[in-house]
Amino acid sequence: MRAAWAITTTTIRQLLGVRRLILFGLAELAPAGVLLLMTQTLAEEAALDRLLAMVAALYFPLFVPIVTLIVAASALGDERRDGTLSFLVLRPIPRSVIALSKFGGAVIVAAGLNIFGAVALTAAYGIETGSWNLVVPLVVGGAFASIVYASLFVPLGFFTDRAVLVGLVFVFIFENAVVSALNGLSSLSPWRIGMSAFTGLAPTEVAAELSEFGGASLSSFGTALFRTVLIAALSIAATTMVLRRRDLT
Amino acid sequence: MTTNPALVESPTVELDDTSKWFGQKVAVSNVTCSFGPGVTGLLGPNGAGKTTMLRMLTGLIRPSQGSVRVLGVWPRTSPSVYAEVGLVPEEAAVYPALTAREYVRYAATLSGIADVDEATARAIDTVALGEPADRKLAGYSKGMRQRAKVAAALVSDPQVLLLDEPLNGTDPVQRLHLINLFQRLGSEGRTVIVSSHILDEVDRMSDRVIAIVDGRLAAAGDVAAIREAMSDIPYRVRIESDSTRVLAARLLEEALVHGVSVDGGILHVETGDLAALGRRVPAVAREVDARITSFQPEDASLESVFRYLVRR
Repeated sequence: MRAAWAITTTTIRQLLGVRRLILFGLAELAPAGVLLLMTQTLAEEAALDRLLAMVAALYFPLFVPIVTLIVAASALGDERRDGTLSFLVLRPIPRSVIALSKFGGAVIVAAGLNIFGAVALTAAYGIETGSWNLVVPLVVGGAFASIVYASLFVPLGFFTDRAVLVGLVFVFIFENAVVSALNGLSSLSPWRIGMSAFTGLAPTEVAAELSEFGGASLSSFGTALFRTVLIAALSIAATTMVLRRRDLT
Repeated sequence: MTTNPALVESPTVELDDTSKWFGQKVAVSNVTCSFGPGVTGLLGPNGAGKTTMLRMLTGLIRPSQGSVRVLGVWPRTSPSVYAEVGLVPEEAAVYPALTAREYVRYAATLSGIADVDEATARAIDTVALGEPADRKLAGYSKGMRQRAKVAAALVSDPQVLLLDEPLNGTDPVQRLHLINLFQRLGSEGRTVIVSSHILDEVDRMSDRVIAIVDGRLAAAGDVAAIREAMSDIPYRVRIESDSTRVLAARLLEEALVHGVSVDGGILHVETGDLAALGRRVPAVAREVDARITSFQPEDASLESVFRYLVRR
């Protein structure tokens, strides 16, 4: 337990340098700023439309994956590139503890940044309309999407130096083009899992509004939760296996 | 009683007919040797397979053929043995955002040590890092990083210590301190394996040498025997000085100098006794009022020595 906590906290320090914190913090504030500028002259219903457009077109398909990709791909990738992975694996601790802790550190940082963005966005909406009932749903949705993306990108960072490029291809080509065209693949799209959690917790009228933004491919909250837990567990198991079997040359 | 100089009576670390290849490239070829308490030098030119051997010993890479045992087990499948094994890798392998104290403390925590603070303080004290231990590793020189890595390897008080070119980047004072430390650890009954491509370094810190060339076991035994075997091969040393030609002329008068040449302001000296030359050059430089800025054995000449050993 002490070792797991030590790896997690060190990972958070590695991933959250001051420059990265400022850069990502400002980026996460951008949708909220845009929303504030756009909604000042609008009625509440129109403001909700604008918020959902931000959520469905910017927050989930763009900000969450990119932030999580950059953070999560570094969690094991930087250790491998810097030669510090041998420092971790040559300790009397199970490889599963290393895999779980690195994943945990990446999720805390990525989800923390994405939750900050979610709070900022829904707070901007709340300030303009006085309605605060979307804060928790978007926070939960952002966290779910962050967990699923981290499940993919933490091991990806270990496998290849081009994890960011591969991740961008996955997000922009597979998720935002292929899955958009073939709804049957939506269960493989992390941001759609996050958005499913969001709509599952949000008031019913939000789900209806979201159908305009591709919401037809969304699942229930329970399904999103199940998929998130399953994908995270598979990712940790796969990373553990790779750490056990793969040579560190 | 074993008669094979590559084997020891009570081994703690063993390689049995071990090979490792990466695709078509053979990095280690059919090496059988063992290591026991004391300091053993793993000697060979750059690219000889020393790092691959050490990485196999730690379980970081698996042998393509043969077996490796550390304290009786293959570490990859028995991670608990890592409590008794410390590795100082050649590459950077430090966390730039941590201070040296945090880095050593991290190693102590991961090694499951009960009193982390006490172990951290002891390890830092052992390598004499002192006050800079609270500075971030990002600002450390290579020599100071080496000491931090040694402290992290020592924090769990391991029985087996594997050091991959630990003196690289260290200044003469740090070098002397580390050599004394390794000798002390060896005399305490630990198995200390130190890889180096510099015979003189190995000579100063180890009683026994395993020489590796092109991935093969080239020679094994005590340093004196190996030195004797290669006595007819001259070493080349590269010396940088502010009075190269004066120094060259004066060195030619020394019996232990076989020849000198000056190339682009760099002095190259051939000798049969590297250690004696290392002791003599400072005195000669003082005589002719020359300032030595660098004194380095040349890898090329060492490689020829190693190749000679293989041909024997």
